[in-house]
Amino acid sequence: MSGAASYLMRRAAQKERVRILYRRALKDTLTWAVHRHLFYPDADALRERFDANKNVEDIETIDRMIADGESQYNKWRHPDPYIVPWAPGGSKFTRNPEPPSGIEIVYDYGREDH
Amino acid sequence: MQCLRDSVLTHLRVMVFRRQLVLTRDVSASSSLNRLLCTATGSNHDQVMARVIGLVKKFDKIDVTKVTESADFQKDLSLDSLDRVELVMAFEQEFSIEIPDEQADKLKCCADVAKYIQSAPKSEDS
Repeated sequence: MSGAASYLMRRAAQKERVRILYRRALKDTLTWAVHRHLFYPDADALRERFDANKNVEDIETIDRMIADGESQYNKWRHPDPYIVPWAPGGSKFTRNPEPPSGIEIVYDYGREDH
Repeated sequence: MQCLRDSVLTHLRVMVFRRQLVLTRDVSASSSLNRLLCTATGSNHDQVMARVIGLVKKFDKIDVTKVTESADFQKDLSLDSLDRVELVMAFEQEFSIEIPDEQADKLKCCADVAKYIQSAPKSEDS
């Protein structure tokens, strides 16, 4: 029973790793191929490489394949990845931040009642 | 000479005055135009939802007729985990946001995505 549970846990962890690897690799593909017409074939090729090993059942083989894929991803990672401008690390990050919630703008230009 | 100067000055003053009027009208007009043309995210829940659903419908592995607000991507729309990754990437690009890895796993239906996009700290128009 514990063997089955640990097997399932390992499978779940592997699925998670594959998902994150695919996500990062897909983002990296977009960084390398800046235009859409270049990106789509590359993304399809990436998906095919993942799908080719879809039905592998042996857990050790899967681990080895994931490690292999991660090392390949690390090898070909883009040195200057695209970051959404207002996300952390982006070129607009914390530029012109919103004022704190307690502060409001009064638009009556000196006609306030003091 | 004085007369000429006066006339020029009044003319100028009137000109400036007119330009200010035009400017104020322009500003109000452009702001209303901005409001009409604005594509900033998070302004309206229905708009965000419509964009999310439109995007999901354009995804080529999905049966268009099955797409609803609460249809689960994995169960109802029969996507596998990698398809969901692609879909999340499409959302990121449509709304110009960055969805962290652990959040991306929790987005299971269109309503989740719309809620996340609205709650995401956005600074697109600030």
